[in-house]
Parts: sequence; C-alpha cells; structure tokens
Amino acid sequence: MIRQALRRNPWSFLGPAATQCLAAVLVTAGLGLISSFDRAPLDPAQRRALTVSGVGDIGLLFLMTSIYLSIIIVGVTMSATIRHQARDIALVRAIGATPARVRRSVAAQAVLVAVPATLAGVPLGLLAGRAWVAGFVSHGIVPAEVTFRAPGAALPVALAVTAGTSLIGALIAAIRPSRVRPAVALAETAAPRLRAGVPRTVAGLILVAGGTALSVLIADLDAETADQGGLFVMLAMCVGAGLLGPALLRVTGPLLRLLGDTGSLAADTVAVNAKALSGALVPLTLAVAFTAVTIVRGTTTTHVTGIEAPAADRWLEFSGTGAYSAFAAIAAVNTLVTVILARRRDLAVTRLAGGTRGHTLAIVICEALVVTGTALVVATAVAAATLLPLLHTALGTWMPWLPASWLVTGIAATAALVAAGTVLPAATALRRPPIEVVG
Amino acid sequence: MESVVSLNAVSRRYPRGVLALREVSLDVPAGQFVAVMGATGSGKSTLLHCAAGLDRPTSGRVHLAGRDVTRMREARLTRLRRDRVGFVFQSYNLLSELTVRQNVALPGRLGGPRARAIDDVLAAAGLGGLGGRPVGELSGGQRQRVAVARALVTTPAVIFADEPTGALDPSTGAQILGLLRTAADLDGVTVVMVTHDPAAAAWSDRLVLLRDGTIAADGPTPEAEAIADRLRGVSRVAA
Repeated sequence: MIRQALRRNPWSFLGPAATQCLAAVLVTAGLGLISSFDRAPLDPAQRRALTVSGVGDIGLLFLMTSIYLSIIIVGVTMSATIRHQARDIALVRAIGATPARVRRSVAAQAVLVAVPATLAGVPLGLLAGRAWVAGFVSHGIVPAEVTFRAPGAALPVALAVTAGTSLIGALIAAIRPSRVRPAVALAETAAPRLRAGVPRTVAGLILVAGGTALSVLIADLDAETADQGGLFVMLAMCVGAGLLGPALLRVTGPLLRLLGDTGSLAADTVAVNAKALSGALVPLTLAVAFTAVTIVRGTTTTHVTGIEAPAADRWLEFSGTGAYSAFAAIAAVNTLVTVILARRRDLAVTRLAGGTRGHTLAIVICEALVVTGTALVVATAVAAATLLPLLHTALGTWMPWLPASWLVTGIAATAALVAAGTVLPAATALRRPPIEVVG
Repeated sequence: MESVVSLNAVSRRYPRGVLALREVSLDVPAGQFVAVMGATGSGKSTLLHCAAGLDRPTSGRVHLAGRDVTRMREARLTRLRRDRVGFVFQSYNLLSELTVRQNVALPGRLGGPRARAIDDVLAAAGLGGLGGRPVGELSGGQRQRVAVARALVTTPAVIFADEPTGALDPSTGAQILGLLRTAADLDGVTVVMVTHDPAAAAWSDRLVLLRDGTIAADGPTPEAEAIADRLRGVSRVAA
C-alpha cells in the first residue's frame, strides 16, 4: 500500500519532501550557528560581549523558530498529501484493512519521505550555516575568531524534527479516512463534505482569539518580552486563519461573481475546494506576515526616530526573516501545485464541455486572485496584531509606516507567488489534449 | 441533404506506428442516429474522436456542422464544439463536486449559447428536483442523465456518445438511449454513438461496423440479435 501510494502520486509527495528538506536546512543552519559560537576560541571579554549583545542566543532563537515553523508547515503539506489518498484509504479499508493498519501505513509514508529529504537537507544546511557565519563576521557582528564548526548532532536532530512533524501532520489527516466506514468514505471522495467540521472551526476561533489576547497582553510589557511573544501571536493567528480558511474563502469566493461567468465558475470551484486551498493559506499568510512585520518595523522605526538602522542590524534582521519567509513561500507554492495537479481531470472536463485553453486558464486565474486577496487581508490582520504591540512598546506609536511603492511590490510579489503555484502548473496541464487526460 | 458529420479518407496513425484508422469515409445526415461497432482495437473510439474534433487525423479531411475542422485552430475548434457539439462519455466526465445545475450550466458559462432554460432540460432528462445535488452523490444512471442534459442544453447539431451505457445496467442504459433517441426524433439532433452492446446499437437508425480501422459494413440497423451475429462475424474475421 505504501509503495502503491508513492508510485501512484509521486508528485503529491513533492510538497512534504521539499518542506522537510528545507526544515532540515534551517535546523542544521541554526545548530551550526550555535556550535560555531560556542566553540569559537574567544577570550572572556569577547565572550561576555557576545552574551550581552544577545548575538550568542541568535542560534538558539533561530533553531526554536525553525522548529515551530516546521511543525506547522511540514504538517500542513503532509496532511494535504494524505488527504489526496482518501479514496485509496477507503478502498483498502473496504477490502479489510483495519484503521490501525491504515494509520501505520500512513505513518510509515511520513517517515519514509522524511529520511531522504533530511539527508538532502543537512548538507545544504551546513553550507547555509557556513555562509551565514561568514556573513556575521564580515558584518562585524562577531569577532573574526568565530569560524564555522559543523554541529555533531545535526543529522539526528534534523531527522527528529522532520520525521516528528510529518508524522503528526499525516496522522491528523488520516484520522477521518481511517475511522469512517469505507462506504461513507468512498461517497465522500466523490462529493466531499463542504461544511467545515465544528472542532475545526472552534479550534480556529480559539487560536485567533488567543493570538489577539496575547497581542493585547504584550503591548504593555517591556520590548524584549513583547518581541518574543510576537512570534507566538503570529503563529497562533496564522494557524487559526488556516483552520478558518474554508469559512473565509466562502466569504471571499463569491466576490468573484462580479467578474461575470468565468468568475462565477471560479467561485463555484473555490467553494468546493475551500479546504484544500486553505492548506495553502497558512504558509502563504506566514510568509507575507513575517516579511511585512520585519520590513514595516524597520521602516517605521526609521520614520519615527529619523535614524537609519545600522547596516549590520538590518542584515541580521533580514537574513533570518528571509529564511523563514522563503521556507513558508515554498511550502505555499507546493501546496497550491498539489491542489491544481489533483484537478487535472476537472480542467480537462471543463475543456471537453467547451472551454478553450484560455477560458479554462482564466478560471484558474480567478481562483488565484481570490487566494491572493484572502491571504493578503488575513496576513495584514496577523501582521497588525503582531506588530502594533511591538511598535507601541518600542516606539510609543500605534501608526505603522510603509512607503506606497513597497506596498505595491509586496502585493505583486504575493500575486506572483500564487500564480507560480496555480497558473503555471495549470497552463502546463492544459497543454495535453483533454481527451488524453480523461481517457 | 447536407451531412452534419463528414469524414473523407481519414487515416490516423499513432506515434508508435499503429494505424488505428485507414482511409475511412463516412457521411452522417442531420437527424440520423448512427451506431459504430467493432471489436476492441478496431478503431471505433479513434473514429469518434477524429469526427468530433477531439483528435486530428494524420491524413484525410473532417467536416463538422458544415465547417472544415481538419486544420482549424484549437481555440476556434473548441468554440465550434462548445456551440454545435455535445458529448456523452462512458465515464460521465462531469465535475463531480459541483451540483447538477452547475454542471449543466457549464457550457453556457463558458460562453456557449444559452439556447434552452436549464430547468426545462433537467425536467426532460428526468432530473427535476435534483438540480441542487452534487453530482458525486448521484447514481451512475443519474450522472449519465446529467451528461446528456449538459450535451443537450446548447441545442447542438450533433451528439457524440462513447459507450454511454457501458457502465450502466440494461434498464438504466435504455433510459439514456431513450433520451438520445428522442433528441434525434424530436429535435433533429444527429447522434454518433460508439458501443459494443448490440442492445444499445438496436436503438440506432444505421449501423457501421469497423474492423482493423476500416468500415466492414454500413447499413440500416437490424434487430439486436442480428446485430450480435454480424458483430461476431466481423470479430472472427479480424481474429
């Protein structure tokens, strides 16, 4: 069953494999930073300076953030992959596989994909860590005595993170298909339940409410505590938004009807695909929110204080955020590609019903528009909840500041990201004659 | 009378050198219900795909609804199919997550003619009251009715049906064939149907038998038993 799953949909494992590989890169780079700083031949004064400035803790901070992000992002991509197997799971259940057997098989797939992905990610992480340490030295943030030292525990730690996170994601996704009666499961793969489950909605609301409460709470604390709390505000709200995603898309989707017939078709499709699409909403929102918080904090600080931040500080901020954002962005593109490829047959059916290639692509573009718009709105809300308390504690202002050109660039970049995950694979899929696809 | 579907010396060779159709010529006048039969691999699906503009012949010419589609550009060909041609497949080829109504409205929303009210078409296909149900929840027979309704909603000149009853039991299949028969008789729609079931072919006016990519027999449709005999004859020679 495992082998069949891997062979039948090799591309559906691309998402988990890519995100696990990146998670391994980030974890290894973080560990590398820690070991390089710890084992550097520094005199006591230099060591004290490193501790006082907080630079010594950057490795640990980066490592922890990477692990939190991996839990969310690897979990999301892995569960999207398992969701595509719902029909296969129902079939093997029908011919006598017990729920426990299905769970074991799903768990084995999760670990099986994690191993090669991690083996590929660790060496890349070592290279990234080396480059990063060199950057610290060249920007004068750490003394030149600090050289890159490979962390001994990189492979086991990275493997534990990737295998653990993908196991959690896979098992959560397998709960329903492994438990329900096979006949019900088979019927559901043909006509999925449209309403989001009550537990999902409740969990989403709790996370968003918790994030908001934390955001209010940290607004009155000192800057450093607020800084650390901000991360959790962002993570909680992004996951919450992802859980509420189907509901959100059902609100934003119908706006497409304003665009006429093509838009209406896209709105119908978004409504039935809302669950799958909201899998992409979590990483997309994370990517946009992470970037927005870092950039807007920088621009607002400069705007309020009138002092340009030192180049070294800016490099530090952006190198960390860049890594997180790239991680989330790649996961978002992957999830979107998985969603579109799963719909190759539907696209072919649309063409057989009389849709030209351009027309069918226009439907996908409309869907991309609504995903982009929803992600931007949610990310703005998340970024605001994260950033406003930080601005208040650090600068005493509630007003963020961002040049208009940067805003436009951000929107365009998000749209480009979504287009890369939807329009590009759809255009490729539409090159094959439709009759061959449905064959 | 002008032919709605016209094939002139059509050959189709697949990339690996298999010659699926050899110089086949076939003219189908308006309102005729043609059944195309033959053994597996005799070229019946290729014939249907070439006639419907879903596949391009290697040589020969194809006219569809009075237009030469042999070298027509893909977008124009798609619009011609959308406006003048309906399809019914064995595997339904519906958007199973969308509702019955949304599926039947698809050609219109893709810019096709909104010739008939969707409710009338649904009622005629025996789908009254099911409009709001997702197609994935329906039985096979109901799904195929949706496919027929989607094919009829644009009032096409011709419907191509590829084993439309292949996945259905005899009485459910008969209902689908009845819908196609009615379309031919009352609305003058031309029907070209590929099938391996003699009982299904018996609903047609004209029977075309294919063997090794050529037409082995072409004439008025006899009784179902006689069809089975002829089919056996053609298959045995082929084997």
